[in-house]
Amino acid sequence: MKKAANDTTDQRLIAQFKAGSAEAMEKIIEKYENSIFTFGLKMCGHRQDAEDIVQETFLNAFRYLEGFRQETKLRNWLFKIAARVCQKKRRKRKYEPDQELSLEALGQLNGSEGTFDIPDWSQLPSDEVLTAELKQVIQDAIVSLPPKYRFVFNLRDIQGFNTEETAEIMGISTQSVKTRLHRARLFLREKIASRYREGKTR
Amino acid sequence: MKDACRRCFQKVSEYLDGELEREICEEVEAHLRECPQCSKCYDSLRKTIQLCREGAMEEIPQDVHRRLRSAILECLEKREG
Repeated sequence: MKKAANDTTDQRLIAQFKAGSAEAMEKIIEKYENSIFTFGLKMCGHRQDAEDIVQETFLNAFRYLEGFRQETKLRNWLFKIAARVCQKKRRKRKYEPDQELSLEALGQLNGSEGTFDIPDWSQLPSDEVLTAELKQVIQDAIVSLPPKYRFVFNLRDIQGFNTEETAEIMGISTQSVKTRLHRARLFLREKIASRYREGKTR
Repeated sequence: MKDACRRCFQKVSEYLDGELEREICEEVEAHLRECPQCSKCYDSLRKTIQLCREGAMEEIPQDVHRRLRSAILECLEKREG
C-alpha cells in the first residue's frame, strides 16, 4: 500500500474509532498487532513479554487516541508507545547494562578474509527445519545486542522506519541513529557468521 | 586497516542506506570496486541485513490475538460503564 493512502486509511479509522466504532478499533489492532508483537519479541526475547507489550501498547493507544494529533502518523505513534513500554519493562527486569559497542573492536574482526560467511537468504533452500533454525539464530543474535543498539536496529532494519522517524521515536539525534545502526549491524554480522561457522563444522 | 579501508568501513552502512552525500558515495563506490576486502565487508553486511529482515517478522499467535482483544474490550467497557 502506498504511504499516503495508508495514512488516509489510518486517519479514517481514527475518526471512526472516536465516533465509537468497535470495528475501527478491530481494524487498527489487526493492522499493527503483528509488527508490534515482533518488536516486543525482538526487544525482550520472551513471548510472554511480547504479549504484555502488545497489550499495553494498544491499551495506552486507545486510551489516548481521543487526543491524537492528525499530523502524526499512527504507526509512528504506536511504536513510540511500544518503545516506552519496552523501556519501562526493561527497567523492572534484571539489570541489563547498556554497554557500548566499539567500532574499533568491530573493525578488528573485519581483518581476516572470508570470516563473514553469511547465508544468502535468496539462495537458501526452502527447507522448513533450516528456516526455523536460522530464524532462531537471528532471534538470539538480535536479543543479544545491547539495548540501545537493539532498539535502533529493530526500528530501522526490521520495522523499516527511516533514520528521521527512528530518531523521533527514540528521542535521539539522527547521527546517533546512524552510529548505533552501523555498530548493531556489524555486531549481528559477527554473531550470525560465528553461529553459522559452528553449524558448518559440527 | 589502511586509511581508505577504514573510511569505507565507517561509511558502509550509510552507503547501503543511500544516505551519503554524492561525493562521499562516489568515493566509497570507487574504493569498493578496487578493494576485495572491503567489497566482501559490504556484501556480508548487506546479506546480514537482508537475512534479519526476512527472518525476523513474526505472526501473533492466535491465543495472544484472542487475549489481546478481550483485554482491550474489557478495559474500554469499564471506562464507558
